[in-house]
Amino acid sequence: MNLVAIAINHHTAPINLREALHLSSDEISKYIGKVKDSLFSEGLVVSTCNRTEIYGIPAKKDITFKDIQDSLIEFKAGFGIQPEHFENLQAAEAVRHLFSVICGIDSLIIGDNQIYSQVKDSFILADNNHFTGTIMKRVYDLALKTGKRAISETAINEGAVTISFAAVQLIEKIFSSLNKKSALVIGTGETGEIAAKHLSERGIGKLTLTNRTFEKAELLADKLNAVAIPFPEFKNELHKFDIVLSATSAPEIILTKDELAAAMKKRNYASMVVMDIAIPRDIDAGSREIDYVFYHDIDNLNVIVDQNLKKRKDEISKVQAIIEEELKSLLDWYNSLEAGPTIKILRDLFESVRAEEVKSNINRFSDSDREKLDIVTKKIINKLLHHPTVELKKILLENDRDETVQKISLIRDLFGLNDSHKKE
Amino acid sequence: MKEYVDIINILLPVFYFITFGVYAYDFMTEKSKLSDVKRLFLFLNLLMHAGYLVLRSLYLGHFPITNVFEIFTVLAFSTAFSYFVLELLTDVRGTGPFIIIISLFFQIISTLYIKDNPEVKEVLRNNLLGTHVFTALLGYSGITISAIYGCLYLMLYKEIKQNTFGLIFNRLPNLEILEQLSFYSAVIGFVLLSFAIAIGIIWLPKAFPSFSYGDPKLIGTSIVWLLYGIGITSKILGKWRGKKIITLSIVGFLVAIFSTMVSNFLAKSFHSFY
Repeated sequence: MNLVAIAINHHTAPINLREALHLSSDEISKYIGKVKDSLFSEGLVVSTCNRTEIYGIPAKKDITFKDIQDSLIEFKAGFGIQPEHFENLQAAEAVRHLFSVICGIDSLIIGDNQIYSQVKDSFILADNNHFTGTIMKRVYDLALKTGKRAISETAINEGAVTISFAAVQLIEKIFSSLNKKSALVIGTGETGEIAAKHLSERGIGKLTLTNRTFEKAELLADKLNAVAIPFPEFKNELHKFDIVLSATSAPEIILTKDELAAAMKKRNYASMVVMDIAIPRDIDAGSREIDYVFYHDIDNLNVIVDQNLKKRKDEISKVQAIIEEELKSLLDWYNSLEAGPTIKILRDLFESVRAEEVKSNINRFSDSDREKLDIVTKKIINKLLHHPTVELKKILLENDRDETVQKISLIRDLFGLNDSHKKE
Repeated sequence: MKEYVDIINILLPVFYFITFGVYAYDFMTEKSKLSDVKRLFLFLNLLMHAGYLVLRSLYLGHFPITNVFEIFTVLAFSTAFSYFVLELLTDVRGTGPFIIIISLFFQIISTLYIKDNPEVKEVLRNNLLGTHVFTALLGYSGITISAIYGCLYLMLYKEIKQNTFGLIFNRLPNLEILEQLSFYSAVIGFVLLSFAIAIGIIWLPKAFPSFSYGDPKLIGTSIVWLLYGIGITSKILGKWRGKKIITLSIVGFLVAIFSTMVSNFLAKSFHSFY
């Protein structure tokens, strides 16, 4: 298979270089316009925050990895990028790499949930730019299938692997549905904002925000359809919340055990989850001793993250087995696109149709005519197949493998030869 | 028919063991392939057990409630059946092994010691007694399941409080669900026990000349009924919740076990038939 790929990703280059070559959707379309036909006959460009990768069938035989690298560097004016920052792949290795990417086992965070849709979108973008052909379409189908299988048949993307998701996972081990619960986020800096967004996305019933600078809390509350309360008042309101998440940059404790105990008494000891994800901590760690207070700090949440990451790593071998199965299926398909077997299957198909029709109509002919019928129909088939057979043999003599693959693939699709071959 | 009854009697613990194994494997393994088929195992297990109870009743001419070991097989069935219904209604699947092991335990004892007893006291052939015993057994199954969910709640509560995120944390449903399951099972158990007690109080004094309100089983069951009544009322009124109500459920279950043992094996009363 004449597929080649170049990849710059977190394995090969530091973040500043990856950023330099990152392509937006518009840039990908422009880049495709530039390289289509000159470098590749068909291809795919994947660009995320951690990787920019280009796959394709070279348009000419003398195209090298360096040509492809230079085209990207020139397009993005990426200074300081050297050939060693790229991984160069070809044939089965390139497909294996793409399948690994879509399954998330090549990601910075193993089992990354977003990469599947990012690769899918990249294929759609390539298709919209008429950059996909017979081979890339097949690769696309199998890449999606591989990604789906990895998700459904393994636990590669299960469990929270970031602090804020771990916090949500923990909350969901205590409460059954968040839409009936109320949450207070203390501190609307970067961490607090992410946590508030996660809670909002998970459908929290009522979200309240507080911050020393009240305007900041109000601004975020507007964005998330939440309520903002002034910082000095939050302790009086504490008993109303099922979830309290604190992420301020305060250098000292802002909520003591006694204050929390008083709030618990006020709410008749209904369970309260208290997540302290600030460094240094905002809430007295002794609060965990209060009944029905589920206090967790960043170290506790890291335990969950580490456990889940280990579990995902243990699933990599299962995903690799799936990748090898699908890769084999792609290579089998590719190898079946030979002219010789195609001629035979095509002739067999016509012959089976002829024989079937003769058999079902044989009683309409006298005994003496039956032999003639057989001979005449065979002649018709031979005449009909003469020209296609000659053309297919010509393809056999041509050396352009990718053009051969395209032509044979078209014939096989038109006559349904893949299906008839399988039936046999 | 005797051969069939005997064969199924031997097969039942094996089937419960297999079903328990399937549920336990699914509990221990993430994304196990048995996740969807385990319910089928339990269903077939219950079907076989129901068949056994019917065959046994037809063969001996009375309901299987005439000795402790017949009661045990009914208890195994009613516990597994109650769990099956609960699993169907709630689709909470991670708690099966903790309940099926109880059925397995009861069935093993029953299979080992059960005896065919064609000659039984006339009073034990009475349909009202049958209803009384069956509702009581289903009620006890309800409170058994409630206690198991209670224990699971306490285990998960402890894991989360102590930040030890092991198998229990990963595989059990959340605390609120466990509390609800424990509560609903307790309510079902309480209603059925109320029914059994009502039948008992109306019918037993007529059927037994030696009837006494001082009977240990009657007192024990009344205490259990009272404990659950207090717990359920407090929960409905919003006074008690969480660990408090769960602990009450577990205490109620322990009192039930204790009173059954005392009345069946230690005390002599009209309520001991076996």
